[in-house]
Amino acid sequence: MKKLLSLVLAAMLVLCCIPALADVAADVEAGQAMTHDELVEKALAESGTFVVYGNTSRIATAAEAFAALYGIPTEANNLKDQEIYTKLRNETGAGAASMVMIQDGAQLTDAIDEGLVINFVPASVKDKLDEKDQQPALVHQYINKLFIYNNLGDDVPAIRNVWELTDPAMKDRVIFKNPESEKVNMNFLVMCTKPEWSDKLAAAYEAWKGEPIDLGEYQNAGYKWIAEFLDNVTFGKSDTTIAEEVSQETAAGKIGLFVLSKLRSSSVLTDNLTVAQYDATAEGYEVNPFSGFMYPMYTMVNTKASRPYTGMLFIEYLMSQEGFQPWGKSIGAYSPNAEIAVNEGDLTIDVWKATTVMEDADYILENFEVEDFILLHCQK
Amino acid sequence: MQQVRTGNLTMNRLRGRVKAWLSKPANIILLVFLVTLTALTLYPLLSMLVETVTIHTGREARASKLAAGTLSLYHFERLFATSENQYSWIQFYEPFLNTLLVSLSSSVIAILFGGVVAFLVTRTNLKYKKFVSAVFTFPYIMPAWTLALFWETFFKNVNIGLKTSNGIMASVFGVYAPEWFVYGAFPIALVLGLHYAPFAYILIGGILRNMDANLEEAATILKTSRPRIIWKITLPIVKPAMLSTFLLVFASSMSAYSVPVFLGSPVRYYVLSTKMKSLMDSYPGQAYIIVGVMILFGVGILLLNQKVTNSRKQFTTVTGKSGQISKINLGKANRPVAILLVIILLMVAVVPLVTFALESVIIKAGDYSLSNMTLDFWIGTALDKRLDQGDSTGILLNPKVWNALIFSLSLAVTCAIVAGTCGILVGYGVAKRRGSRLASWVNSLSFFPYLMPALAFGAIYLAMSSQIPWLRGFLLLALVGSVKYLPFASRSGVNAMLQLSGEIEEAAVITGVPWWKRMVRVIFPIQKSSFLSGYLLPMVSCMRELSLFVLLVPTSNTILTTMLMQYSEKGWAQFGNAINLLIIIVVLLVNFTVNKLTGASIDKGVGG
Repeated sequence: MKKLLSLVLAAMLVLCCIPALADVAADVEAGQAMTHDELVEKALAESGTFVVYGNTSRIATAAEAFAALYGIPTEANNLKDQEIYTKLRNETGAGAASMVMIQDGAQLTDAIDEGLVINFVPASVKDKLDEKDQQPALVHQYINKLFIYNNLGDDVPAIRNVWELTDPAMKDRVIFKNPESEKVNMNFLVMCTKPEWSDKLAAAYEAWKGEPIDLGEYQNAGYKWIAEFLDNVTFGKSDTTIAEEVSQETAAGKIGLFVLSKLRSSSVLTDNLTVAQYDATAEGYEVNPFSGFMYPMYTMVNTKASRPYTGMLFIEYLMSQEGFQPWGKSIGAYSPNAEIAVNEGDLTIDVWKATTVMEDADYILENFEVEDFILLHCQK
Repeated sequence: MQQVRTGNLTMNRLRGRVKAWLSKPANIILLVFLVTLTALTLYPLLSMLVETVTIHTGREARASKLAAGTLSLYHFERLFATSENQYSWIQFYEPFLNTLLVSLSSSVIAILFGGVVAFLVTRTNLKYKKFVSAVFTFPYIMPAWTLALFWETFFKNVNIGLKTSNGIMASVFGVYAPEWFVYGAFPIALVLGLHYAPFAYILIGGILRNMDANLEEAATILKTSRPRIIWKITLPIVKPAMLSTFLLVFASSMSAYSVPVFLGSPVRYYVLSTKMKSLMDSYPGQAYIIVGVMILFGVGILLLNQKVTNSRKQFTTVTGKSGQISKINLGKANRPVAILLVIILLMVAVVPLVTFALESVIIKAGDYSLSNMTLDFWIGTALDKRLDQGDSTGILLNPKVWNALIFSLSLAVTCAIVAGTCGILVGYGVAKRRGSRLASWVNSLSFFPYLMPALAFGAIYLAMSSQIPWLRGFLLLALVGSVKYLPFASRSGVNAMLQLSGEIEEAAVITGVPWWKRMVRVIFPIQKSSFLSGYLLPMVSCMRELSLFVLLVPTSNTILTTMLMQYSEKGWAQFGNAINLLIIIVVLLVNFTVNKLTGASIDKGVGG
């Protein structure tokens, strides 16, 4: 019975998707070779509601401007990454999004393999981007989560070495989002166990303690750091709450690891906060070995797009100077397009690439069992 | 020849029997519901079962080293029997125990609080009844997570949780609540218990109010003491309602997601629903096993419940005879009890509303001075130029908000009408054919959707809808809402019908009144209050539902709750609080209108 049911389901699914899949893939291939005007012409010829999903709230602002520019009504939805993946798996027809802005490279790799989304690189930006920002998925922007501390009181946690965060004196003073609730956080912790980073962590330990690291039962310095770091952490609900809470006058001595762009919110008392890396750059020292982590936000065409060309046109728009504006106008978002300058007061993407842990989808996918270790340390 | 005649005879007899069977409306109703509910509830369940043994693409395939699509028991082994990194303990056993603790406690809290208040309102001469009755349902009208958010913002302080800021209790009154009071099992159970207490109030109160006073009077005449009357007569009569409440609250608490996240996460207190949600991301097979465990638990209680309503012991409490309920005189205790109750209700029902209102007008969090206040988030314009804290207009001037409000209301009304009417019909069929296998099947099936955690229910319907092109948008939401909330209506329908003595309808049957007329003219008016609660509960639940709809809404601006969640996530707290307040006000207005038009309301189901 179960087998029969799943067979029927699978058969129906195949019947529904195959034709659409082939069509959109062909459209995307054709679209990559098109000029801007050709794309516009094709997009305007499409009919039906144009729907987009984004893992960022500012997609709504971009969609409004896009709609005004081309006269194409756009329905933008801000959803969590997991909701987007679920919808991509299950939605078909006119209501489904034609393109998505999405994070978590590991899951995206699977989604590409599953045939849920297709990569589209507009001809207009092809020459302006690094190859690895184009394939296997087009990077729209990089986002960083940084160590940011409250600068009030006598015991300011102005860290210069991430091992300081594992000190018993820092117990309950570090605030981070539960890695279970947002995968990019989990990805960051998994990355710490990659030899590239665990070696740096081992060296940083020695620099901090003045003696070589004693791993004990841990596989490498990354594991040790994760375990001891998580022991000191309290979990906040969202990056917004963490930013607000760490900025309170009553929060002296606290440090958070959260999205830099949250400092734009007027509910955050920005004056009370110091970004560890800003201070390091200004004073000329380094936070050893990293001052936070960074991950890409990708744009992809939905394989079941009902308006594939409009989706491609929107992607082209998002990659332009104007389309990046909703993010570019404040700190904490970095276009891979070198022509789009970083916001005033912020550091350049090169600095961030050198000082933060960057998500590596392949390593994360291969080392999924590290997550079990991390979960263990998310317990009491 | 002889054989043919016998054959014809048997055929005729069979046809006659079928005809006779079908001539009873109760049978037709049960048959129709059996078929429809099987399609709408058993099919999702089956497809879910398939998921628990299927290896999905991505992480599951990689971790199990099996090809995607393989049928395997891998997920069971992993979730139940993996000792490495204490995986099973962390992902299943400990959250399971926590869930049991929280769900049991919240059920007890809901039944005690709701039941006692229902008793005080219906059976005593308590003062301020009107206020108590009107305000008691507030916590249910609010989305549960807003109550949790209120609890946290009210009691948080620098000694507990994130240890970063003081809530109203600490900053204004200088009272620093201990950690167990603000985070973990206790507040989760309490918030859920308070949130669902109106179930107890409505279900138990409905019975108490319609109870035949003869039973108690007979006991009084025989000089039975008050406590003994309550223990021996009142309690047994409300027992089915108490069990129904227990079932409803237990299953709801078990699948509640946001409350444990808000109040559990800071102290690393996890329950099954939070584990299910995070597993759904990468290991859906294991997530569906957790859903299955939750359903199994619900079914267990459902069976218990059924044993009570199916047994021959029936509690016919509304008969053709008139009955006047005698009210207990509380005497000197009246005023203190009433005042205590009013204070508790103010705390759980009115203070949160005031807080929402306050939080919707302040610009910077935590500063409650007049200079930091503005009505901009309600009626302002060009806010993007001045505040940059979300939308450019206040919610009352925002067409997005009005569209969502109209959509939410139409959805809630549709679900209420469909679920409420079906509930009465199911109640009628089940009560008329009580004891028959068909009745008990339909009874269980109509309750089944309640046992499916809302989030999983939504996910399964999303998958189903992907194969049915016309099933989307409003239609999909209305279908899911109606099915999911049918249990409320069928519960109150069955409870109300079980109280009705057969003789009430018989008089009309004898004089040849058609079935529909008997329903509309005789049965409905008698149990109007119970039936109306069967309409109002789905409506209210639908208005404030989030998890069920979150995956199914065409856009996040479609309904008010998804919009509200989006605003809170973005940190646009003021807009979020304003919309939350808007939801509550709208539901209250609907309640008030229904009250004025029909004389019934959510709380009138109990009467004040």
